[in-house]
Amino acid sequence: MDLSNTQAADVLQLTNIHKAFGGVVAIEDFSLNLKAGEIVALVGDNGAGKSTLIKIISGVHAPTSGTIAIDGKETSFKDATEARASGIEVVYQDLALADEQAVYMNMFLGREKTKGPFGQLDRKGMVQETEDLVKELDVRIPSAKTTIRNLSGGQRQGVAIARATHWATKLVLLDEPTAALGVAETAKVEENVAALKERNLAVLIISHSLDQVFRLSDRICVLRRGQQIGVRETAKTDKNEIVSMITGV
Amino acid sequence: MQSTMQKLRQLNLSQYVVYIGFLLIFLFFAVTLGNDGFLTQRNLTNIVLQTAPITIMAIGLVFVLAAGEIDLSFGSIVAVAALGSAVVLGDYPLFVGVLAGLGIGLAIGFFNGVLVAYLRLPSFLVTLATMGLFAGVARSMTDLRSVPVLNESFVNMFGSGSLFGVPSLVLWTIGAVALGHFVFRETKFGAHVLATGDNARAAQVTGIKVPHVRLLVMMICGGLAGLAGLLYAGRLQAARYTLGESDLMTVIAAVIIGGTALKGGKGTIIGALVGSLMMGMLNNGLILMGLSVSDQMIVRGVIILIAVAISLRDVNN
Amino acid sequence: MKNLTKMMAGGLAALLMNSGAFAQTIGPNGETATPSTEVVVADGDVEALKSGGYSAALVWHDQSDFVNAVTQGATDEFTRLGIKVVATTNASFDTAKQRSDIETVLTKEPNIVLALPLDPVASAAAFKEAVDNDVQLVFLSNVPDGYKHGEHYASIVTDDLYAMGKQAADALAADLGETGKVGWIYHDATYYVTNQRDNAFKTTIENDYPNMEIVAQAGISDPARAEDIANAMLLKHPDLAGVYVTWAGPAEGVLSALRANGNKTTKVVTLDLSEPIALDMVRGGNVSAIVADEAYELGRAMAASAARGLLGQESPAFVVAPAVTVTADNVSEGWMQSLHRDAPESVTK
Repeated sequence: MDLSNTQAADVLQLTNIHKAFGGVVAIEDFSLNLKAGEIVALVGDNGAGKSTLIKIISGVHAPTSGTIAIDGKETSFKDATEARASGIEVVYQDLALADEQAVYMNMFLGREKTKGPFGQLDRKGMVQETEDLVKELDVRIPSAKTTIRNLSGGQRQGVAIARATHWATKLVLLDEPTAALGVAETAKVEENVAALKERNLAVLIISHSLDQVFRLSDRICVLRRGQQIGVRETAKTDKNEIVSMITGV
Repeated sequence: MQSTMQKLRQLNLSQYVVYIGFLLIFLFFAVTLGNDGFLTQRNLTNIVLQTAPITIMAIGLVFVLAAGEIDLSFGSIVAVAALGSAVVLGDYPLFVGVLAGLGIGLAIGFFNGVLVAYLRLPSFLVTLATMGLFAGVARSMTDLRSVPVLNESFVNMFGSGSLFGVPSLVLWTIGAVALGHFVFRETKFGAHVLATGDNARAAQVTGIKVPHVRLLVMMICGGLAGLAGLLYAGRLQAARYTLGESDLMTVIAAVIIGGTALKGGKGTIIGALVGSLMMGMLNNGLILMGLSVSDQMIVRGVIILIAVAISLRDVNN
Repeated sequence: MKNLTKMMAGGLAALLMNSGAFAQTIGPNGETATPSTEVVVADGDVEALKSGGYSAALVWHDQSDFVNAVTQGATDEFTRLGIKVVATTNASFDTAKQRSDIETVLTKEPNIVLALPLDPVASAAAFKEAVDNDVQLVFLSNVPDGYKHGEHYASIVTDDLYAMGKQAADALAADLGETGKVGWIYHDATYYVTNQRDNAFKTTIENDYPNMEIVAQAGISDPARAEDIANAMLLKHPDLAGVYVTWAGPAEGVLSALRANGNKTTKVVTLDLSEPIALDMVRGGNVSAIVADEAYELGRAMAASAARGLLGQESPAFVVAPAVTVTADNVSEGWMQSLHRDAPESVTK
């Protein structure tokens, strides 16, 4: 852990978050702070509430009670667009890529660059920025003009992460980024995630692979049936402890 | 070498089917019917004039299909808009009649769009129902009677007139294709249409107002169907409830052969134009060949089948 | 489909014949109808036509048995006269398509166009180009608004709708010994063709056969419901001697109602040839006669009128092709006379 990390302000502050759908409680009293340049892993069994939490942070659901603060300022997002405007990006499990469109169009999906008096798409500009970014992040794709359909799973994941990297100014949420990938591709994606840290972004990652969690994260937060079981510093815990926190035995 | 092969594969044959097919059919007719007037300027102009309403409808359908929806009702919209406009023109000046036709198209498109975009009813079923509904409206509007259009400026503007020697129907076609192509290919809205049809969830989570896009494409399709109705009314100097009724399959074929995907996310206005011209040329050439009506239908069917098969086969690869 | 064709086909004819109780075919400007047999190209003129190198195009509204027979009649006559048929089109009831079809066939610069204009209003502009190019136009049944005989077109040729209805009445009367109760199933829609034929039947029974009486009448708008309607009628009037059905499609439904009731005595007459109806007739079932138009003759007369126009000979403005009564005794001849085709094997065996 380097010095800049410890001194950074908390990017995200979740305090006593509670979420119920009708009578069903999904999240109970959840609190977590994320610093810039910090990777926190969110672990727990299926149905523990991880995805609900991601949706609350990204503005898809509003919490029933509790507060969300960005850079110490309390906020409530009306929708995902507002969350994005605050610098929060999500890499969804299904990647949310448009398969028939080119990489650069996906990179700028919903936020296309335009130019000229009639608002024409600035394709050149978007291609250029995309090329620069994928080079910088070392996402190996044939070209920014390649159609997503023609990319491998790892390449797609790389594009999705690159998109989040490009637009996020504060926080990136990753939902199972390597669930469908092979060994080599997983390693590549983990490099991409680690690179986010270097850009001083806060990262919250959901993963089922404890190996991966231990490789990537600074802290680990465990959820079980909507309850926050605890938060551990990765360096000061081991798999056994985390597993028993997850399973409750 | 490997990468060249890969690039070739990615070139996607389907994109070019329509251009190759168009050329082949053109060459075939040019050779076999060269002496039968096929190549005369009058005949070639006729093909463009005859396909003008088809092309206009095809543009609307490209937007709808690219957005992952479908509109089966545009043929009925054509009839209602043409009749509405013709009736209004009987008592009111030109621009009121034009507004009536376009307004009817947009309004029906809006109706379809609200059901599809906000109530999330499947567009196939919604427009299947409104197709019948508005076909009935067209029939009842004037009790199956045809309505003559006597307004000369209307007839000039949408039918037989011309500007600087260019027939007005050609101008409408060029204008609509140019504007359609620009909006579809060069604007944010066009990109959002493609994204919506490609992956509606992805579009939605990246902040695209998906329902808004769906509503607008249905309105574009309706509005253009209204315009096609005006062109028919101008050309025939009359409106009739059967207008547009039989165009559904022609327009869908033109759009698909042109390279627009039925499942959304992919589309081309220029392809639809060429597809529509190809359909018109096919009709024209087969009649000029002196084939019997049944033989014309068989040959046309076979050619469309081949073209569609090639355009769609590639998608699965 | 065929019924629809016929309905369209008679549009004008009926308009012209809406002249009151005294039902005689009268032309647009009061001309009397001329039987089609009077429209002929003299043998002496054939050589002149053959040397002219003329061509013709056929612009139809739809495809059906009826249209095929008209086409055949016209084509045979054209062949006799050395006139080449260069194009045939089918608008499938689409006025816009018909407009395009006319433009397209004119590319081949035909001297003659035979056509059924789909709609008087919408066709006026469509056929203008043909008029401007001095094409000899002969219309089937409909005429575009404002078109004048001699100036714009050579003739209008149509079915003798009145004769069809009358002959149906005569055939039923003959079979029933001119006596008995009759049911009248008419087409309940404003279609001139069926309305005229239906009314001609009714008028003939009422005026010519004092011992026959129409005791039941029912309108149908949907041919699929013919069976239900016939059932209801038979329930109320089990003693019906005969039933008139507006055309062959619903007549099939009426037949099935009769069969379901085990009724072998009530006689049926209807219009337009149809294999199932003819089959019942030749097997000695309920059907006593079918009345059909001479579609082949209609086509021949159209071709002849147009050819006469090329020779500068005026033809009658309004020409009607006769109707033919088909009974079990003349099925083969009747089929040939109407559609110029052998009757289906099933009915001649």
